[in-house]
Order: sequence, then C-alpha cells, then structure tokens
Amino acid sequence: MTAVTAPLRPPIWRRLVGFNLLTGIVLGIGGWYVGWFGAHAVVGPSLDYFGDVDYNELSVFMAYIGGVVGFLIGLGFLNYPARRLLGYPPSLREKETGGWARYFGLCTDHKVVGIQYLWGIGLFFFIGGLNAMLIRFELLRPTHQVFSGGTYLTLVGMHGTMMMGMMSSGILGPFANYLVPIMIGARRMAFPRVEALTFWLLMAAGAILTTTIFFGGFPTGWTGYEPLNVQAAAGMDCYILFFALAGISMTLLGLNMIATIVTMRAPGLTWMRLPIFVWGVLSTASLMVLAAPVLIAVLSMSALDRAAQTTFFSASGGGSNYLYENLFWVFGHPEVYILALPGFAIVLELLPVFARKPLWGYRLAVAGLLGVTLLSWMVWQHHLFVSGINGDLRPFYMLSTELISIPTGFTFICGLMTLWRGQIRFTVPMLFCLAWFFNFLLGGLSGVFLSDVPSDVTTHGSFFSMAHFHYTIMGGLVFTFFAAIYYWVPKMTGWQLNETLGKIHFWTMFVFFNSTFAPLFAIGFLNQPRRVNVYAHTLQFLNDWVSVSAFCLGTSMLIFLFNLVWSLAFVKKPALANPWASRSIEFQLPSPVPVHNFDRIPVFSSDPYGYGEGPVPQWVPAGAPAGRD
Amino acid sequence: MASQPTAATPPRDSVNHGLRFVVAWLVLSVIATPLVVIFVGPILPPGNMTTQAHEQIYDNTWLAAVSTPVLCLVVVFLVYAFVYFRAPKGGALVDGPPLREHAGIQVVWIVITSVTVLMLAAFGTYQLLQNGSGGGQGPSPVAVPAGASHNLAVQVIGQQWEWTFRYPSFGGVETHELVLPQHTSVTLHVTSLDVVHSFWAYQLGVKADANPGTDNVAYVQTRGPGTFQIRCAELCGLFHGYMFSTGRVVSATQFQSWAKTQEAIYKTIAKYVPPYAKTYICPAAGTSPTCSPQPTLRGG
Amino acid sequence: MASADVTQESVGYEILEGEPPELLGRNLVAAGHLLAGATAFFFVAFVFAYFYLRSLNSAGMWKPKGVDSSVGWGTAIVACYLLSALLVRLGLADHLALRRDQWRLKGLAALLIGIVGLVLQVIGWTQQGFGPADGGFASVYFGWTAFLFLFVLATLLWLEMTLATSLRYRKIPTGAPPPGHAAGDRHRERHDIRDPLSLVRAELVALSFYWTFLAGIAVLTWIVLYLI
Repeated sequence: MTAVTAPLRPPIWRRLVGFNLLTGIVLGIGGWYVGWFGAHAVVGPSLDYFGDVDYNELSVFMAYIGGVVGFLIGLGFLNYPARRLLGYPPSLREKETGGWARYFGLCTDHKVVGIQYLWGIGLFFFIGGLNAMLIRFELLRPTHQVFSGGTYLTLVGMHGTMMMGMMSSGILGPFANYLVPIMIGARRMAFPRVEALTFWLLMAAGAILTTTIFFGGFPTGWTGYEPLNVQAAAGMDCYILFFALAGISMTLLGLNMIATIVTMRAPGLTWMRLPIFVWGVLSTASLMVLAAPVLIAVLSMSALDRAAQTTFFSASGGGSNYLYENLFWVFGHPEVYILALPGFAIVLELLPVFARKPLWGYRLAVAGLLGVTLLSWMVWQHHLFVSGINGDLRPFYMLSTELISIPTGFTFICGLMTLWRGQIRFTVPMLFCLAWFFNFLLGGLSGVFLSDVPSDVTTHGSFFSMAHFHYTIMGGLVFTFFAAIYYWVPKMTGWQLNETLGKIHFWTMFVFFNSTFAPLFAIGFLNQPRRVNVYAHTLQFLNDWVSVSAFCLGTSMLIFLFNLVWSLAFVKKPALANPWASRSIEFQLPSPVPVHNFDRIPVFSSDPYGYGEGPVPQWVPAGAPAGRD
Repeated sequence: MASQPTAATPPRDSVNHGLRFVVAWLVLSVIATPLVVIFVGPILPPGNMTTQAHEQIYDNTWLAAVSTPVLCLVVVFLVYAFVYFRAPKGGALVDGPPLREHAGIQVVWIVITSVTVLMLAAFGTYQLLQNGSGGGQGPSPVAVPAGASHNLAVQVIGQQWEWTFRYPSFGGVETHELVLPQHTSVTLHVTSLDVVHSFWAYQLGVKADANPGTDNVAYVQTRGPGTFQIRCAELCGLFHGYMFSTGRVVSATQFQSWAKTQEAIYKTIAKYVPPYAKTYICPAAGTSPTCSPQPTLRGG
Repeated sequence: MASADVTQESVGYEILEGEPPELLGRNLVAAGHLLAGATAFFFVAFVFAYFYLRSLNSAGMWKPKGVDSSVGWGTAIVACYLLSALLVRLGLADHLALRRDQWRLKGLAALLIGIVGLVLQVIGWTQQGFGPADGGFASVYFGWTAFLFLFVLATLLWLEMTLATSLRYRKIPTGAPPPGHAAGDRHRERHDIRDPLSLVRAELVALSFYWTFLAGIAVLTWIVLYLI
C-alpha cells in the first residue's frame, strides 16, 4: 500500500491529447468553419446584402456559434450532458487533480476556476486597456492623426465592450468563485460544472470580440445603439455574440452564486453573520440573474434584425430605436451596479481588517447593498433624459436616480465609521480601499449633475459623463479589484506580492488616474462629445494632458504586471497563512487553500469582524468526531 | 499565523474627536462653499445665450454648492482619521475599540442624506418644468415655456453626417446653417433620417436626440446675438466626430433678410426636397409620394 | 462538550461531512426558481417589445394587411406544452409516491408530447402566411416564438436526462448506491452524487417547477401573440 510506484509519464504529445484547451481551440476553429460553410450551404447567397462580399450575417452568426460549440466540446463540456442523455450516472466533479493541466481545461474545483478567472479576465482587461491607450494616442491631436474613423470607433467600442462585459465578472469571477465557498464553510459551489462553464464561455466571448477586427470592426460603442447597429458591417455580429455570451455567463454565474449562498452555508452561519463580501456577491448576483437575460433578449432582437430581416428597431418597418434604448438600459443600469456593488463589498470587507475594528453598522451596510440593488431597477431612463422618450417621466427618474445615493451613502458612513478611532494600517490593499472613497465620491457627486435633468442637458453624452463613469467604475471597481488582488492573491497562490512595488503601483495609479479623468470633467463641460476623434483646437492642451496621464496610468499597470509576474513566477516568497492578521475564515486556512478547503466543516458562532472582541473563535469544535480518516 | 492582537481597551481619549471633526468640517465648508459659488459658478457651462442656458448655469452652480460640503465631509474625515487613527509604525498589532453601531449617527445620516436628495430632486423638477431646460422632450412636451404657441418653429434634421434645418414658417426652406433671431422663443423639432444623432447646441443649452420617425421637441428663448457650436452627441457612425457646425443668433432684421435669401436659393431646388413634415420615415413597403426617398440602411 | 454554544452542540458531524442528502434537491430547486426568474426577464423584453411597438405603430407597420397569426396553430402548440408540463407534474407525484414505473411512462409521454409541440411549432412557422420581415408584429412573433422554442427544447433535454437516469436505474431499489463514480480527494469523496435516484427526485422537483413555469409563459404567448 505504501509502496506506490511512480506512474510512467506518457510522452508530451500524449498528454496534450484529450479534453483540454488545445483541443478546445482546434475544435473551436473546426466548428467555426462547419457553421460558416453549413450556413452558406443552407441559405446560399440569398441573404447576401453586400453583393461583392462572400458572406451573409447568418453565416457569421452560425460560424461563431459553431465555434463556441466546438470549443466547449473540445474542453469536454458536452461529455457530461451526453452521458446524462444516455442515463449514465450523474456526478458533480471532474478533473480536480492533475497539477498544472487542470488550469487549462474544465475543472470543477472552485479555487481553480477562481484562478482561471483571474488570469483570463486579467488578459482581456489588459487588451481593453491597450485599446484605451490607442484611443488616447489618436486624441493627442484635435484632427485625424493615425487611425481611420472606422478603426477609431472600433477601438472605442472594443474598449468599452471588453471592459463592461469582462469586468462585470471582474470580482465575482475570480474572487467570489474562490472565496464564497470558503467564507460560507462549503467545499464546493452548488453547480461546479456550471461554474467552469461560465469561465470558458467568457473566454470564448472575449476571443469573439477580439476577432471583430477581421470583420471590419463595429461603429456603435459598447451601447450598440440601433439602427446604427443594423447598418454596420459584420464586425457588429461579434459585438452581439460577445455580449450575449457574456450575458449567459453572467446569468449562470449569478445563479450559481445565489444557489450556493442560499443553500450551502455551514451551520451557525446565519444571514447576519455572513461576511459583507458575501452580501455584496449576493446582491450583485441577483442583478446578474435578472438583468443579463434582458440583455440577451435585446441582443437576440438585434441579431434577428441583422440576420433574419425582422424590424424590431427600424422605424420604417414598424419598429423603434427607443425599444432598443429602453431594453438596453433596463439591463444597462443594473449592469452599472453589477460593476459597482462588488467594489462596495470589498471596501467594507477589508476596512475592518486594516482598521482593526468591527465593521461599523453591519445591518446598515447590508441595507445599503440591498437598497442599491433594488433601486438600480428603477432608474434606467436617466440615460434617456434628452432622447425624447417619456418626457413626463423625467421627474420620476430624476428622483429615483437621486434616491440611489441614500443607500450608497450607507456604504460611505459604514466605511468611514469603521475607520473612526481605529488602528489604521496603510497596507497596499488598504490604500486601494481608501482611494475608493475619494474616487467614488467624485464619481457620485458628478453623478448628481447627470441625474439633474437641467444639468444633464449639457453633460449628457459628453466627456463629462465619460469621466463620471470612469470615476465610478475604474475608481470604484478597478481600484477595489486591485485591493482584492493584493489582499487575496497571496492566499490564493501561496506566494507573496512585493509590497514596495505594490505601493509604487498604487501611488502612480492613484495620481495618474485622477490626472487622467479629472480634466475630462472639464473637457465635457467645454463641449466635447464622447467618442469623437475630432475636437476643438482650444481643447488640445487638456486632451494632451489627459493622453499623457493615460499613458502614465498604463505604465502604472505595467508596474503591477511586473510585480505579479516577478513575485509569482520568480521570487516565489511563500505567503503566511494569515499575513494581514485577519479574522476572516479563509485566513485561518493554509496558503494556498487545500483542495478540500476544510478538514472539518466549520461551525460559525459570529461574524468575522470581532476585532477587539477577544480571540478568533475556533471554527471546528474540539469535540467534533474524528470522522472517516 | 500572526500573533494574536492584544485585546482592546477602549482608550479614554482626552480629546473629543467627534466634536473636533464636526467643527473642522463646518469651518471648511463654510469657507469653501461660497468660494465655489463665487469663483467656479460663473465658469460653469453652458453660457448665457438663451434663458435655458442661463438657468442651467444656475442649476450647475447650485449642484456644485451642495456638493462642496459633501466633498469636504469625506475628505476632512479621511484626513482626520489618517492623522489621528493611524497605527504606530512598527508597534505591536493593537485592535481598535469594538464599536459596532450607533443608532443616533445612523438616524442623523439617513435623515440628512434623504433630505438633501429630496431637495435636489424637487429643485431639479422645478427647474425642469419651468421651461424645459433646453432638453428634448419628445413629441408631446410637458415642460412648455409660457407663450410657446407663437414661437418660431425650426426643424433640425440629423443625417449621416450633417445637420440641416428647415423653417416651416418660411415655406419649409431647408438650410445648412442654423440662424435664430434674438429675444425670440424658438421651438426646435429634432428628427433624423437614418440613425440616432443628438443635437447639441452648446451655448444655447440645447440637447435633443434625433431619432428616425420621432419629432423630438425642445424649447429655447434666445437672448443677445452671438455664435454657437453644434455637435452631434450620440455616436452615429464613421464621421460622428465630424458632425459639427456653427450657428448664429442675430437681430430680427438680419434674420428676416437672411431668411429671404435662403428662400430665394431654396426655390430652385424645392421640388427635389420632400414637403415639410414632422418626420421623414415612410413604410418600407409602400412608396408614398409624400415621403422622402428612403435612405438604404444597409451597406455601411 | 464544554462549549456552551447551542449551534455547536447541535451539529451532527456524520451528516455534515457527508453533505446532507437533501442539499442536492435544495440546490436544484433554488436553481429552478432562479432560472425561472431569468426566463421571466428574458420574455419580459419580448412582452415589452410587443406592447411598445403596438402602441407606437410606427410608419403604420405594426400589423400591415395580411399579417395575423393563426389561432389554431397557436392553440395546438401551447396545448402540447401545457399537457407535457402537466404530465411531468403528475409523474413527479408518482415518483414521490414511489410509483416509479408510472413516472417513467408519464415522463416518456411528456417528452413525446413536448416534441410534438416543437414539431408543430416548426410547421406552424411555415403556415402563417407572413415572414419575419413583415412589420413590427411579425418581428415580435417570430423572435418570441423562436426563443420560446429554444427554451422548450432545452427543458425537454433536461427532461430526457432525468428520464434516462430513471430508465437506466429502473431495477435498482431506492437507496442503493450504484457503482462507478468520480473519485479523487478523500475529503471530497463523499461530496459527490452517490444515489442517482435521489438526484432524479431532486431534479424532477426542480424540472417540474420550471416546466410548469415555462408552460405558463407559453400560455402568455398564446394570449398575447394569438388571441389579442
């Protein structure tokens, strides 16, 4: 029994054959061509709107759908349903052992999925960021500089869509997948295979969006407004498919999170003992489950308009562009809070650790998260104040939009009061959390201008609103994303990140973030609309200032990337189990967390914020039976 | 695992931190708010060329004034906390006092934020309903300024990628330049021939989306003469960035003579232009003679 | 046990470590409800599109002459969906009452009737006398029914899976775990599905709820697209 002989290692090519990422890519490309030629064979050139171009919209859609299906087959996602269709025994687990290979394929270990998400989303975050650099490069001059109009708009659209679609899962993907089961004392998510599916769907979606450049790009920005959408070349189909797939991924991610949190909490973990991060995940997930389907529906309509000649959005065919705008923003505004709420949750989760005080006003904080969740459904028409839709409803939407600052204020007061009389330690994660207060405050205050109709008449659709949502999303979400990385990555990987580089990253990012986006408020106030590549000569100085700051901001990101690669791949300094002296349960486990999470399922007797209230509780009571080993 | 932090004994502070913070905040707010109103207010957009634009400056000033104490609150709080509640460097890990909540602070906070927010909403609604604030209100406007019935009506037509303007009271003349008489109430009817545009006449304080098949109405009351910038504020395709022009507010006599000239030019081409209508979208199937030729949507 | 904490004393570690058997059912029921919520919001978009475009009637192209859906086809299709959902409900009752053979029959019938509904839908599309390009109503009609078709198809696949598991394990008495499961980490061995019959029951509860909900949406479809 003890004399285990080392298994014979098969040659490398044998190890590459099987259900993994490589097979997925190969079958994905194969599926793409099957869909492409299949659609051509079925419909022929009859739907060819372009005359001299040898494709139609249907073949583009079918090609990508075939590609996604092939990709999923190659990853092994269809094995299980196929087995189930034949009645073979069900199972919850797949490929949870096997070293590095499990990161490149379907794996049902929630911790592996979390790390997959971190790198996958990071990759597309950097592609999106690179787009932003190119946009700012074009805007160095008030007139045409490098990119053609179409390329410029494609960059704008890819930047926005990539960031929106990817970063919606930016916290929930890596951190909630990794941490929620641990925080609630479970060993898995409710639906582990679905969990893996959400990740690979998102990666397929990202690849599709990137290939839009081979189909002429798309001119609509991330909002994809009709009827420009239906007018655009085939690159638009990539946008539609990207967002629809990201929407499916979001729906399933949210569904899985809610089911896990509702049903799988360990004994003693009552609702009022949940870490606030889990509350944030829960509220975000509820928005995902309900809002993303509306996005999928409206993009389906777009796809039908483009490929099947329906007229949902064309006024001459009995449709209306307002239909698109309404439905898009019914999704779009909850989406904004899908981005913002995890940020709130991370700030509230981390402040007690670094202020050495309990989270102040726990119930108020929960009420704030839930209040924002609820109100975010009632504000969407503030994106349409000047669109000419429902002029008489504008006072209502003005009110509901401004009301949302009340529950947001709960987050502020809870966070601020947690600092009060604390023992504040300015670690790197804490710095990012503290920056959130400043950034999100400016974002919120500029939001008041946008919510007020008379002010919105000038600020709507200008760089002002662009600056506003970068303050809330980049200042709110991305800063806390980095806080989460610096806080939890040592736990996830077992290796420390370099603190000095972290501080350099923080200070450069904070300074250049503000130096990039604060002038944009002024630029918007001074009559520069969003998404233009041509602007007034008088605004060149401000625009150049912003561009240079943006490049510095990009450099700051490179510092982070260097830190990440340097610390995790070369230095590999082992992380302590609890480097921050946190009371949260994940820090009572070894770093990295073992596959089974807990030797014993923990039993909770308090929330994790009892700083100054005595020693950390024993999670597993001393009298627990020895179990089966 | 890090050593267990020492159990907290709530320090008996000799100073009243709460009072000191509130005083610091109040003092700073009282100083900063008037400064913002006096120095920032006048440079806020969009200008004084119309009553609506002027009202928007008023609105923006108010919002900036209300925002200032809020900004001060958070910034002063953070700075105060950083200075007084910083853990000593290199010292042992000490927990702060386990303060979990305080009903009084919560109630006060909720009441203050709620009152502020409701006041802002009421203020915004009042401002909006007075004269529409220059925003597009759709085909059936609710915020109609007094005397709007005998306005000068101007139609703004967006198409990829330029703005044209029609004056129904001058025989539907279509021009490339927007010229308005001073001290006049103007009703702008904004519509589009193809995709969604947004008519943004900056100094007039006007923004209204141009939607195909919709007559989006906005009101302005012009003041003195001057020029204003027009831009498209909704992404409308390839040359969105180039979709701008300049308009003028001129005296009544200048406007009349300008209109006469335009009418004369227009007469020669009038038969090629569809008659004036609220919108220019016709059924794809039927070919009504009153419709403009339908621009083909495909082919971008 | 020295601890005075009530929660700690009341823990049955035998159950806890092995993952309580009803957890799977709770998960699936939660997922069924959430899926229903997501589905509702998906179709709300189409309901909204219907009433919005109908009220706008832009360019008079909401329902041009000759565009009207056939009530007969609609009734037949929706009746199939409803009947299938009803049979699954009854089958669930059978399964709960340990009449597993009767559940299998009802499940099979439900599957077949559901498929008939889908086939009717496909034929129905060709029999409407108008195409997707014929105005606002035609757009909503084809978009809505096409996606309802996809949702029903997915639900029927789920039904087939449950049914197939039932059929394969028809000879195994309740409670006996079959062989052949994924294994791996010893701590997580017991966190896998041991008893496919418990899964069938849990799945049936969730599936029956979801299929009934979707049939409800089909009825809404019938009212909105065919009746009014």
